[in-house]
Amino acid sequence: MYLFEHDAKELLAAAGIPTPAGVLVEDGGVLPSLPPGPWVVKAQLAVGGRGKAGGIRKTATLDDARSAVADISRKLIRELPVRGCRIEQQIGSARETYLSLMVDAAAAGVRVLVAPQGGVDIETLSTQPGIVHSMLCDPTPAAISAGVRSLCANLAEPVRGALINAGEALARPFFAYECTLLEINPLFVRADGSWVAGDAKMITDDNALERQPALRALLAARAHAYTEVALKAEHGCDYVVVDSAGDIGLLTTGAGLSMMLIDELRAAGLKPYNFLDVRTGGLRGDPARLVHVLNWIAEGSHIKVILVNVFAGITDLGEFSRLLLAAIARAPQLKVPVVARLIGNGIETAQQVLGDAGIAVETELEAAVVRVKRHLAEQRA
Amino acid sequence: MMDVRIDRSTRVLVQGITGRAGRQHTKLMREYGTHIVAGVSPTAGASDVDGVPVFSDCGAAVAATGATASVLFVGAMQLLDAIRDAVEAGIKLIVTPTEGMPVHDALAARRLTRAAGAIWIGASTPGMAVPGAAKLGFLPSSALLPGPLGIMSKSGTLSYEAGYRLAQHGIGASVWIGVGGDPVKGTRFGELLPFYAQDTQTKALLIIGEIGGNEEEEFAATVATLRFAKPVFALIAGKSSPEGVSMGHAGALVHGSHGGYAAKQAALERAGIRVCASLDDMAAAVGHWHAGNTTN
Repeated sequence: MYLFEHDAKELLAAAGIPTPAGVLVEDGGVLPSLPPGPWVVKAQLAVGGRGKAGGIRKTATLDDARSAVADISRKLIRELPVRGCRIEQQIGSARETYLSLMVDAAAAGVRVLVAPQGGVDIETLSTQPGIVHSMLCDPTPAAISAGVRSLCANLAEPVRGALINAGEALARPFFAYECTLLEINPLFVRADGSWVAGDAKMITDDNALERQPALRALLAARAHAYTEVALKAEHGCDYVVVDSAGDIGLLTTGAGLSMMLIDELRAAGLKPYNFLDVRTGGLRGDPARLVHVLNWIAEGSHIKVILVNVFAGITDLGEFSRLLLAAIARAPQLKVPVVARLIGNGIETAQQVLGDAGIAVETELEAAVVRVKRHLAEQRA
Repeated sequence: MMDVRIDRSTRVLVQGITGRAGRQHTKLMREYGTHIVAGVSPTAGASDVDGVPVFSDCGAAVAATGATASVLFVGAMQLLDAIRDAVEAGIKLIVTPTEGMPVHDALAARRLTRAAGAIWIGASTPGMAVPGAAKLGFLPSSALLPGPLGIMSKSGTLSYEAGYRLAQHGIGASVWIGVGGDPVKGTRFGELLPFYAQDTQTKALLIIGEIGGNEEEEFAATVATLRFAKPVFALIAGKSSPEGVSMGHAGALVHGSHGGYAAKQAALERAGIRVCASLDDMAAAVGHWHAGNTTN
C-alpha cells in the first residue's frame, strides 16, 4: 500500500530513522498538543504534487496552523480528497538532497538513486545532467550500503557522509517492512552532517501483510484511511470506488477484465461507480462476500443498475447464480435492476436460475451493456 | 532464447497435487491432453492422486519420471521454497498460478530461476497453453483454439475474454502465455519476444497489458531493438483508473507519471504496435490482419 506520509514517517521513526516531530490531525477541529514551532502543515493523501497544489503550508503561530489545517483539509488534490494533515516541526537551515530505494522488477534487484539536490520531483531532477546518480544493487542491505557509498564517492561533505549514513540506515526498514519503494525527498542535510527525512514516500507490498505485524497493526488502526487494502485483507476481494457519482454498480471478477470494462463504459459515456475483483473462485459456496459487495455498492447514492460480469474459467456459474440470488435477498436496500453477463461452465443452469428470478442473462458483453443503457434511459424518463 | 513450446509429450509434474486446487486442475489438465507424470506433496503422504504417483519432493519425482516442467498449486507464503525445490531438481519450465506472492520472495525466485537457466512463468497467472496440445494451469478450454496468433497477457480474465472473442471470429492462438499481474515476475513480455520471433506457428502477436510498472514500455523497446517483424497488437486495461490504488493486481498501481496509460500507448505506438482502444477494436484489428493473412 501507498502509505500516507504521516504513517510512513511513524514507521520509519520506529525503525530509528530521523524524522521531524509531528502529529496527525484528521478532523480539522481541535489541534492536539504540538511539538515546538514553527511548523509545516502537510496534506495527507497518496498522490504526489501536494506542494504545487497548495497542500503544504509553513506556519509560525497556532492560529495560522489552525487555519492552514482548515483550508487544506477542504481541498481536493488531483481530484482526491485530503485525508487529514500532518503538522510537523520545520527543519531549520539545511540542504535538500534526495535518496530512494526501489524494487527494479525487470532486473530483479533494487534501484538506488541519490542526488545532492532535492525538494523537487525526481523527474525534474533527472532533467539536469549529472545530478542524479543511479545504481542497480542486489536485494540485500549490505549491497545497498555499498552501492550508496560508491554513488556518493565524488560528492562534497557534509552531503557525502550524510547520504552514505542515510543509505545504510534506510536499507534496513526497506527490507524489514518489505517495501517496493522508499523515497526520501527532500532528505535534509545539516552543516554538521546530520540528516532528517523531510518527506517519505513509502509503498509496501500488500502480499506480505500476513508476515508484517507493524503494517497489520497500522491497517487495523487506520482502516478508514486505507479502505481498499483493509477491504482486501478482511474480505479477500479488491474493491475501489472510481466515481462516487457513478450510476452503474459493477459486480465483476478478474482485475484486468474489470479495469477494461470500466474503460469501455466510460468511453461510451457511461458512469461506472466501482472497480471490483470479487474472485468468484474464492466464494466457496458462501454468499457473504457478495452480500458485502452489494452493501458497499448500495452506498453509492446514484446507483441505478448493477452489472454482473463473470467469465468463468473454472467457476461453476450455476452455483454462482444461486449465491448471487441469496446475496441480493440479503441486501434488500438495493432496489435496482440487475443485468448479468455470464459465460462459461454451468451457463445453462445459471440462465434458468436467474431467469426464474427475473434477471436476464446475456452471454455477450455488448448485449449486457445495451440492457444497462436501456435501464438507465428508462429511469431517466 | 527461452523455449516455452510444450506438447503432448512434455512430462509435467504438479506440486501441491493433494490440495483442492491441485487435484481439480490435475484432472482438467489431463482431460485437455497434458502429460502429467507425477505429483509432489511434502506433507500429505499420499501414494497417488487419481493414478498419478505422488513424491515428497521434486528431486524424487524427477528421478522417477523424467519430468521437465512443473505446475505449482502451492500457497503464496510457501511458493518461494517450492520454486527452489523445482529448480534444484533440474525442472526447466515452472508455472505458478498462485496469487499473492510477496514481492521480495519474487525477487529471490527470479534470481534463482535465472541463475539455473529455468523459465519461470508467473506468479498470478492462469498459466500457459499450446491450444490443441497441452496446457499448464487453468486457461479455460472455451477460449483455446489453435491458430497463428501468439498471446501474452498480464490478466487472466481479460485474456479469456479476448481469446473467446477471437475464437468466435475463427482466430486461434499458437502459444498463449499468461505472464501474470505481479510487478516482479518470472518472465516479462519482452523476454518472450525472441521465442515468438523464431516460432514458425506464430504469425502475429497480441499482448494484453495493463497500467502500472513499465513492462509494456520495455516490450516496445525490445520490439524495436530485435526488429521483430511480425504484426503486433496491444490491448491495455486501466486507462481510467485512479492514481495511488492497486487495481486488483499488485502490479496495477499508478503513482505520479509512473505506470500510466498514456506513456504505454506512446511507447508501443512508437515501436509500430497497433494499440487497440477496446476489445471490439482489438477483435476488428486482429480480424482484419487475419483475413488478409489467410487469403494470401
